Amino acid sequence: MSGFSRRDLIRTGAAGAAAFAAGANASPLDSARMLPARLDKEAFAAVVAELRAVVGADWVFADADSTLPYLKSFTPDPRHEHVPSGAVAPASVEEVQAVLKVANKYKLPLWTVSTGKNMGYGCATPASSGQMILDLKRMNKIIALDADLGTALVEPGVTYQDMHDYLVEHDLPYWIDVPTVGPIVSPLGNTLERGVGYTPYGDHFFMQCGMEVVLADGTIVRTGMGSVKNSTTWQAFKWGYGPYVDGIFTQSNFGVVTKLGFWLMPKPPAFKPFMVRHGEMADVAKIVEAMRPFRMSNLIPNVVLMMGAAYQLAMFHRREEIWDKPESVPDTVIRDFAKTKGLGMWNTYFALYGTDEIIAAVEPIVRRAFEASGGEVLTEKEMGGNLWFEHHKNLMSGQMTLEEKGIMRWRGGGMCCFAPVAPAKGAETSQQTELAQQILGKYGLDYSVAYAIGGRELHHLIFILYDKSNPDEEKKADDCIREMITRFGERGWASYRTGVNTMDLVAQQYGEANRDLNARIKQALDPNHILSPGKQGIR
Amino acid sequence: MPGWERLRRHHGVRAGVICVLAGLTAVACGPVISAAPKPRSPEKIYASTCGYCHGQHVAPVIRGRALPPEAIVQFVRTGPAAMPAFRQTEISDTELTALARWINISKADPKEHEQ
Repeated sequence: MSGFSRRDLIRTGAAGAAAFAAGANASPLDSARMLPARLDKEAFAAVVAELRAVVGADWVFADADSTLPYLKSFTPDPRHEHVPSGAVAPASVEEVQAVLKVANKYKLPLWTVSTGKNMGYGCATPASSGQMILDLKRMNKIIALDADLGTALVEPGVTYQDMHDYLVEHDLPYWIDVPTVGPIVSPLGNTLERGVGYTPYGDHFFMQCGMEVVLADGTIVRTGMGSVKNSTTWQAFKWGYGPYVDGIFTQSNFGVVTKLGFWLMPKPPAFKPFMVRHGEMADVAKIVEAMRPFRMSNLIPNVVLMMGAAYQLAMFHRREEIWDKPESVPDTVIRDFAKTKGLGMWNTYFALYGTDEIIAAVEPIVRRAFEASGGEVLTEKEMGGNLWFEHHKNLMSGQMTLEEKGIMRWRGGGMCCFAPVAPAKGAETSQQTELAQQILGKYGLDYSVAYAIGGRELHHLIFILYDKSNPDEEKKADDCIREMITRFGERGWASYRTGVNTMDLVAQQYGEANRDLNARIKQALDPNHILSPGKQGIR
Repeated sequence: MPGWERLRRHHGVRAGVICVLAGLTAVACGPVISAAPKPRSPEKIYASTCGYCHGQHVAPVIRGRALPPEAIVQFVRTGPAAMPAFRQTEISDTELTALARWINISKADPKEHEQ
């Protein structure tokens, strides 16, 4: 939408909103909508008819209006390469099997999503245009929750909000571990993408236990102990017997995962959140060096977020409040504004969990280390009520929040994430920060980042925030992330995950042998290549 | 009561597996936990989706502004600018119609804040 912002529109009230609605009706799929690669119009019409016979007419979306929500993406797509042909939404495993049968018959490519809110990586849009979205949101049952073992088994459409509500309603003493978009995304989808949260259970795939997969030919496979007749340990023991296969169904297109088991964290008697404030961009190395021993020893047990000031400010502020020029906001401007909000250039959030006695014993140890690194160690006593501190306190205790979605408003609704992995070494982390700032600066983009600190590595989550309503800006963002992937790759730093627009590019960095292995598995399990072609570069 | 002690006591009085999907042989014991969907109330949808951004320092306040229902429907389905789009599988047409009407006539909540 051009000429006025949505904020302006809403402020104008009813008249403005009506004007927007009329404009939205005028655009969408007519020019950009595409058919599946191997289907003509007649074949596509036949597919739609057969799919409607499977799931009901209401749950196949193949016209311009009903397909609209599936087009939404924050990532750049300047060449319109990620436009779906439609969507089909089965409500059961049996319907998934029947849909796959139709897809095999017509060679229909199906792009599988659970809740379709993979925000920084393409939402529900496919890796290539013409794919039909296999939307599993209607499969939304919490199938089992073991109150003794703290395990859950869920379908794809269950959200973290659903899990949270269930635990509250039944007064169960467990926490969930949420990504930053918890209320509207699913544990199944986030785990399959190998996403993270911010409690001690933050490595979601590590906490996953058992899955049910529908293969392309309709075969149902339960992994781990789930294949044993009368098994009572499906969600209790991850590894099963023989080759461990769960991993090949994550970040892949080898099957449709219809159930996922995972573990819940026992609610600790005591929890204490901390923030360490550092004042300079160059402090990144000191923070990583101070943090590493605590994460390796698990003395600090949660996935720690080291938040850059520009990212933090973007959550609740707009760029024009701080800077009115097209080039990147200077560090000094960010630093000065952040200071007025109680923030440093780096704000590192961790928590201690356990009993009051455990926390009292550990706190002085970590406090000394971070103070020696030049940081100010702050708690609720100093930071209670601060918007950012409260947000991270919520994340580190598994509470629902969408506040980080505010970053999309920084520069007009565009956002994509470049997520290289860094070793937990200060010097190398510092080099990544310098390289990222150099490339972003070339494009006039801001260094809006979060480092998520695991045991021995960091996910360097670099959010490219741009104005998606401006085609020039969209192209610039696309060029920028490609240059970042390429130049980081030259240094040996590759992404752990990427958006639909760059899946091939990243796959190339993992080498031909890796790609060939994936291709061989794909050919064996999905010979018609109907499942999410292009996912992670696998066709 | 400390959480861990409460957890132990809790385990002492409750059955292990709370509930499962009928037909799932591995842990079968009863009916499905979350039943087939019936339309949720506008209040519930607002609280569990819209309200996390709108009025929470992230997105504009939309209550108490008499926004026309047809515009709200368009916002939800298209996700303009920084807003995600919500599909029919997430918020059904029936739910969205009621939600849009509810937002249209809702009073402003003084506890809500703009970005």
